[in-house]
Amino acid sequence: MNKSSNKFRHLVWPLVSLALLLLFNAIFTDNFFKIEIKKSDSAQAVQAPSVPVESPQPGTSWITPESYDNAGDSAEAAAQAAADGVEAAAQAEGAVQTIASEAEQQAPVKKDGKGVSIFGYYLYGTPIDILNQGSKVMVLAIGMTLVIATGGIDISVGAVMAIAGAIAALLISMLDAGNCIGAGMGPSFYWIIPVLAALLLATLAGFWNGMLVAGFGIQPMVATLVLMVAGRGVAQLITDGQIITFDNPGLVFLCNGHALFLPFSVWIVAAMYVIAGLLTRKTAFGLFIESVGNNERASRYAGIEARRIKWLTYVICGFCAGVAGLLAASNIKCADSNNAGLYLELDAILATVIGGTSMAGGRFFLSGSLVGAILIQTLTTTMYMKNVSPAIVAVPKAMVVIIVCLLQSPVFRAKVLSIFASKAAKGGVQ
Amino acid sequence: MKTFKFPMRYVPISATILVFFIVYLIGIISFQNFGSPKVFLDLFVDNAYLGIAAIGTALVILTGGIDLSVGSIIAFTSILIAKMIASGCNALWAIALALVIGILFGMLQGWLIHCFSLPPFLVTLAGMFFIRGCGFIVSEESIGIKNDPVFNFIQNDLTIKLGKGMNLRFIVIVYLVVLIMAIFFSQRTRAGRSIYAIGDNELAATLMGIPVGRTKIMTYTIAGFCSALAGVVYAVYLKAGNPLNCVGLEMDAIAAVVIGGTLLTGGVGYVFGSLFGVLVLGLIQTLIVFDGRINSWWTRIIVGLLVLAFIFMQNLITKISKSKSKTQ
Amino acid sequence: MNKFATVIMAVAAATLLVTGCSKSDSSKIKVGFSQVGAESDWRKASTESIKGEAAKRENIELTFSDAQQKQENQIKAIRNFISKGVDVISFSPVVATGFEDVLKEAKEAGIPVVLFDRAVDVSEDGLYVSFIGSDFVEEGRRAARWVLENVGENANVAELVGTVGSAPAIDRKKGFEEIIKDHPGIKIIKSQSGDFTRAKGKEVMESFLKSPEADQIQVLFAHNDDMALGAIQAIEEAGKKPGKDIIIISIDGVKTMFEAILAGKANCTVECNPLIGAQLFDVVEKIHAGETVPARIPSQEGVFDSKNITQEVVDGRKY
Repeated sequence: MNKSSNKFRHLVWPLVSLALLLLFNAIFTDNFFKIEIKKSDSAQAVQAPSVPVESPQPGTSWITPESYDNAGDSAEAAAQAAADGVEAAAQAEGAVQTIASEAEQQAPVKKDGKGVSIFGYYLYGTPIDILNQGSKVMVLAIGMTLVIATGGIDISVGAVMAIAGAIAALLISMLDAGNCIGAGMGPSFYWIIPVLAALLLATLAGFWNGMLVAGFGIQPMVATLVLMVAGRGVAQLITDGQIITFDNPGLVFLCNGHALFLPFSVWIVAAMYVIAGLLTRKTAFGLFIESVGNNERASRYAGIEARRIKWLTYVICGFCAGVAGLLAASNIKCADSNNAGLYLELDAILATVIGGTSMAGGRFFLSGSLVGAILIQTLTTTMYMKNVSPAIVAVPKAMVVIIVCLLQSPVFRAKVLSIFASKAAKGGVQ
Repeated sequence: MKTFKFPMRYVPISATILVFFIVYLIGIISFQNFGSPKVFLDLFVDNAYLGIAAIGTALVILTGGIDLSVGSIIAFTSILIAKMIASGCNALWAIALALVIGILFGMLQGWLIHCFSLPPFLVTLAGMFFIRGCGFIVSEESIGIKNDPVFNFIQNDLTIKLGKGMNLRFIVIVYLVVLIMAIFFSQRTRAGRSIYAIGDNELAATLMGIPVGRTKIMTYTIAGFCSALAGVVYAVYLKAGNPLNCVGLEMDAIAAVVIGGTLLTGGVGYVFGSLFGVLVLGLIQTLIVFDGRINSWWTRIIVGLLVLAFIFMQNLITKISKSKSKTQ
Repeated sequence: MNKFATVIMAVAAATLLVTGCSKSDSSKIKVGFSQVGAESDWRKASTESIKGEAAKRENIELTFSDAQQKQENQIKAIRNFISKGVDVISFSPVVATGFEDVLKEAKEAGIPVVLFDRAVDVSEDGLYVSFIGSDFVEEGRRAARWVLENVGENANVAELVGTVGSAPAIDRKKGFEEIIKDHPGIKIIKSQSGDFTRAKGKEVMESFLKSPEADQIQVLFAHNDDMALGAIQAIEEAGKKPGKDIIIISIDGVKTMFEAILAGKANCTVECNPLIGAQLFDVVEKIHAGETVPARIPSQEGVFDSKNITQEVVDGRKY
């Protein structure tokens, strides 16, 4: 076998499946690959409010008329912050993956020079939707891959997403109440505070999980089960059981804005993958993770701080969940503690496994997880376009997962090949 | 004279039973009518389906595996039965078909897990999605079971009346019977003991000559049967089928099993513990409803904390027994 | 063993803290209420109305339970209410089927049941005393009538249906179709469930707008405001103008929707009044006093569009 091809071998089956799916869509689904270039409507950007509106009380759902119109304005401010490397995420909804939401705010050409001006055009179409909607799972898959690579698992990411979205929504509505939104002007950078708070809280959740698993030696499934069960309760505690909506342009931009033709969420995903890739492959960190996952005892004997490595992976997973939670909340401009990130942990695990990372730990493939996440989202979107009811979408999803897992299982491949070999009546099984 | 040493292995389940009684006591002190026998019986009636599902889950977890498809199988079974009855089919055939499907599905999952070395988490996860979707293909809406002679018979005649308006309902009887059978199976039969052996150390079990593959597939088959039976019980309980219900039930079952003293790594625990795990969960919910002031999301937080407490305790006990065996 | 004991004590203490001690006052009317959950603004308003009204009335002792949208939790709650010995049980069923047994138990225990907001589907009569709530079928009819009056005889309608199997979704659809069946120019060209949530409404609308029939959609009929608000987002993202390119009519009448209508982004909302806490407890008191009450009590509701929504109306809107 050619040694260099081993590097990408794990990508073969996921990519083949993805290609088949796209082929299916190309043939059977109208408009699937139709991508239009839309111009943002700059006329929307400057519209003074016709009626005075009081600022919303925290916890109330309130969309002020002018924020409806001026939503596009602060796209710039958000872009600026994004350029500073701040990331945030938005919220998913029910048990089913959704079709991507399109750019809510069409970024108008900036007039007050506050941020980076984004070209007034963006791409619009189903493949873009897939990338946008799949962004949450893609981000989750990063953390999940690292955790699974150490031989653990984190099923609490959905609940952590809910917590992150909840705290962000709560803080932004409190801040918005303090600062009169007025005409969408004024210092609009305070949205960074909820973002940072959400990320901090999510990272703390990851720290908690790491403490249970690495610190106390509790089995990962059970340890993260605790937060999964209790986490949504905590999120509801934060929101006092309500769905808090917000309209802060900065926060909304995260999942709805555009930069350089692509949805902003895609850039967030790309940035996170690049950082994760550099972190794991250009430093020894990735090597240590694989070592710990492969044989923890041997790693300890070799002098690797296995506990610390494992702890760190859970922290990273928590952080990723925070990003995904912000994306999810930003997507629908509200924090829904009951439904945010529901079952997304399962999708993240599926994406990781499809990508070639074994659940027993060891070698991991971030690129594979990315392809896996895209595959899952493409599958869901395909079902939607075929008018399949969301609940039934789960069936082909399950079958695809099993098939890909089987294809990756050496036992299965050996058995299949042995059938062919014996049929061909030739000696030598691969 | 031999001093009586409380066997370490009984500590987790004793703790569970202790917690059960403490919570019960708190309830009785706090509320009138909490101590009435009705509350106790209601615990069984309302949680019979969960209890049966937890039995199957406990057996699977004892082998070191996991079963995430439980809730979905219950939903599928209930809507299948409801749909068949609504289409005029005899209820007994519907129930029989549902049980057979459960057995076959469990067998399929066990086969995939064992023969291809796929992780149980993934296979049962895919199974969960698959069978939930199948439930929606059967019917997108819930269907009531009305005026069915078999169900009415079960409801009215197969109930043991204990006087004073209290009844031992059929579904509770089914649960208790299945529980006793499962306890007997796990403790007294060779297959049951094999489950413990496999959970503890699969390699050693193989080397010992235990038919690991057969036993594992059998365990998942039993789990599938238990889930399907739980679905039948659920359909009787609701007198309806609903493809949307029981989402996330598998996590409740796992929590009940863990609280009941079974380790997720396998090989340690008692099926009997799952009974108390289910009862404790039900009791906490009852307590919160009786109070009426606490927001229901506290239920989740409390259950999470409880699971955590039990995990810590189990961890501690494992460490103590390991250090003891080292010093011996 | 000490640590073990501490853990047990901690768990016990936590439970004690959480439950406290509460004795019931026998002179008050004890009401047990099981709410669907906290899934939407409408539901939130409904809950506040009930709790607020109960707090105002000295003679009512309310035990409130939130079912987190799970039917099993509601059945357990009702059974617990029976055990607790409440005087009246009221609940808003998550789904219409499956409550027959527990309602029979309530009947045998002599506890009257009042249905709130949604109805149940049972084969036996007399399992509940009264049903207070909106007439969902009439709401669907009102929506259809508004479309006929304001849009005309010809329109292609996209429908965002509520939670599959729930009474409001089934009835609103029924009411709408009842009116339009005599007007063949009005066609429902797309219909899918948005689950009564904002997120799903947005998602499904997006799929509508990407389908081949996207450009034919003239009217959006959403079964509740939350879905419509999500759909408005989707329409804007697709480059169309909600309220102008696509006429939007929904049901519920929440404040946010009023504001959207005022801003020109939506066109009409049929009120579905959640603030019926007062009505509920009036009925409860009557039942407890032994009076007969009507079996069906509809709520007071209206239809709101740009003609009768002004800023004062918006400000005065309680939910």
